[in-house]
Formats: sequence, structure tokens, C-alpha cells
Amino acid sequence: MIATTPSDVTPVWLTKRSIKETVDAELWHGIVDKNLADWEAEWIPDLQRRLKLLNLQKVERRFWPQSRYWDWRDKLREIERRLANLSFAIVAEDMTQAMMTIDLTKRARMPGHEGQHLVYIDFLEAAPWNRNDLAEEPAKFGGCGSILINAAIQQSILEGFKGRIGLHSLPQANSFYANACEMTDLGQDATYENLRYFELDPDSARSFIEKGKGE
Amino acid sequence: MTFDISKTWCRNAGAREDGLDIGAGVIAADPMFTHEGGADESPEASRLALGRFINLMRRDQGLSIEALADKADIEIGELLSLENNAAHLPDVRTLYQLSEVFGVSQEKLMGLSGLTHANDDDDDYVEEAVRYAAKSASVEVLTEDEHEILNGLISVLSENAKHK
Repeated sequence: MIATTPSDVTPVWLTKRSIKETVDAELWHGIVDKNLADWEAEWIPDLQRRLKLLNLQKVERRFWPQSRYWDWRDKLREIERRLANLSFAIVAEDMTQAMMTIDLTKRARMPGHEGQHLVYIDFLEAAPWNRNDLAEEPAKFGGCGSILINAAIQQSILEGFKGRIGLHSLPQANSFYANACEMTDLGQDATYENLRYFELDPDSARSFIEKGKGE
Repeated sequence: MTFDISKTWCRNAGAREDGLDIGAGVIAADPMFTHEGGADESPEASRLALGRFINLMRRDQGLSIEALADKADIEIGELLSLENNAAHLPDVRTLYQLSEVFGVSQEKLMGLSGLTHANDDDDDYVEEAVRYAAKSASVEVLTEDEHEILNGLISVLSENAKHK
């Protein structure tokens, strides 16, 4: 049974591109029924509309957003009874703007950290209107990815994993994880559909959290 | 337990993230790539021509990278990569915005970038654009010759250009 209210809510702020200002938002600790309803009623139709545009523009399918098959209800159903899986959502203007699920059972691969516990990000996705790879409209809100990575790091610290996190990036997002998050690129993973695997060690995690705090 | 994430941090993070996509996770259905995401399969020559065209147009209009990025409402980093990195695969929106600013065909810019494949009957423009771009040399000021080359590129990339 999917919960109807999040276990906790952290205040956060997103950048609204149209006015170049930050707006109030919330980081929900736990994806709940409202988030899934937003995904079904708003994300999917909007994604389909954008896919139509890409198709009309004859953009090759291999450049379409790879997460278009993701079924968040299925993902949540799969992990809802597992204590080692957690989920988060960002909500602004009463709409779900991004979602993430994490797994606490995975181990680090980075040389020097092999076998250490980390928070592994199973899935992370922004709403279609917050993405840059979809058709002609600019992303509506910025900052969702960084806030979710920040949350994963803080959860890692809470679990005693010292901020270590890992993930497999979708090809369109490699630049975000390599450059904006400064995660270590451990190369393509043949066991994960050739996605690139990235990890953040404790020092880099601390630096990510501290970066921009007082600027 | 809630987390500590300040407004300043969020604002700076939002700026750093500008123009970047963030998806992570296994696809698990219809994986259509076994490479870095497609960019390496597109012809580098045509993407070099695209970068050269944008560079010439920008300089012809007396615009800095920053000014063009502002005018086209695209990221500075994206524009820099487009002009200088033949491996960079631009966003559809970026090409749309640039086609609007430069008054050329979005479809043809997408063909040059490798995002779309030109039809067999209509793919001369890619070859022609590459040929024009190959004639230009990187210099600080746009010369008369470059003006001529640029005019050639504009005519090749215009909506109504006819190709043999």
C-alpha cells in the first residue's frame, strides 16, 4: 500500500527559469500516492506530447529520453515493503517535479573504497517539463537533480556510509554527474545496459554539500 | 528526520545544473544503444561544419558567445561546446533557437548535428555545408572571403534552398 503522506518534509528551493528566481519547494521523504497521481495524470501525457514533437522533427529514437518506459507505480510497488529502499520526491506549485528511489544494500566499486557501503540511486527522473532533452521548450524548474543528490548524500551520512553514493547515469545526464556533481566516472558497465557508473567518495560528497553554501 | 539544505545552496545548485539533464537508472526496456549515447556515430565532419557555421554567423552579427547565448536563450556552455567540440551532441531546443535567430532551417541544422538523418534525395546540403565550412580558416576578424563562405552556408541552410 503506497503511503498518502510523506514521513518528513524538508524545505528546499527550485530555480524557476522563466523569472530566474527561486521558488519555495519541498523535498518529500517518501514518494506517496499524490506523486504517483501526478506522474500518471501530468508527466505521462506531457512526455507523450514531447515525444510526438521529437518524432515530427524526425529525431532518431536513440536520442529520445531513455527513461520514457519507466513506470514509477511499479517501482514503488517493488520496494514498498523493503526497509533497505527509500524514496524521495520534490514538489513545487503543488506538482511533483522530480522523483528518486535509493537502495542501501549496494557496495562501492571505486579503487580505495571497494566493498564500502554506499547509497545507490536506483532511479532518478525529473518531470518532462523540467528536462532539456525534450523538444523546444526550456526547462521550467532547475535544481531538482542537485537537491536529490544532496538528499542521497545526507541519507548516506545518516546511514553511516560517510556520504558515499553511486548511480548509473542515463547517457543524456553524463555531463551532470561528471561535471556539476564531480562524481568519479568508473566507465561503462556492461552489466547495466552499458550505462556509465559514477561514484562519489566521502571527500567529494562533503565538497558537494559545502559547495555554494555561503556563496 | 529532515535534511539541512539552504536557499543559497539551492540557488547555486540550480545555476550549476542549468541546461543539464539528470536522469539515472537502468532502462530495462528497449535499450537502443551500446555506445556513449550516439554522438560518436554521427559524422564529425558535418558537426564541425555546424560549429563553424554558428561561429561565422555569431561573428558576422558582432556577437560574443555570451551575447548570442542570451539572444537565443541557450546555455553559454552549450554554445561553446557547439562551436568547439565536434563530439558534442546539441539539444533539439538549442538548434531550434539558433535556427530562429539565424533565420535558417531547423531541420537542416538537425541534419548537420546528426540528430536526424537527411533523406537520400535531400542530403546534398550536408555535403555542401561541410565543403563550405572546410574552406574557412579560424581567424579573429571575419574577412571578405569568410563573408562569402558564410553567405554560401546561409544559402545552403535556408528553408527554400534547392539541391541537386
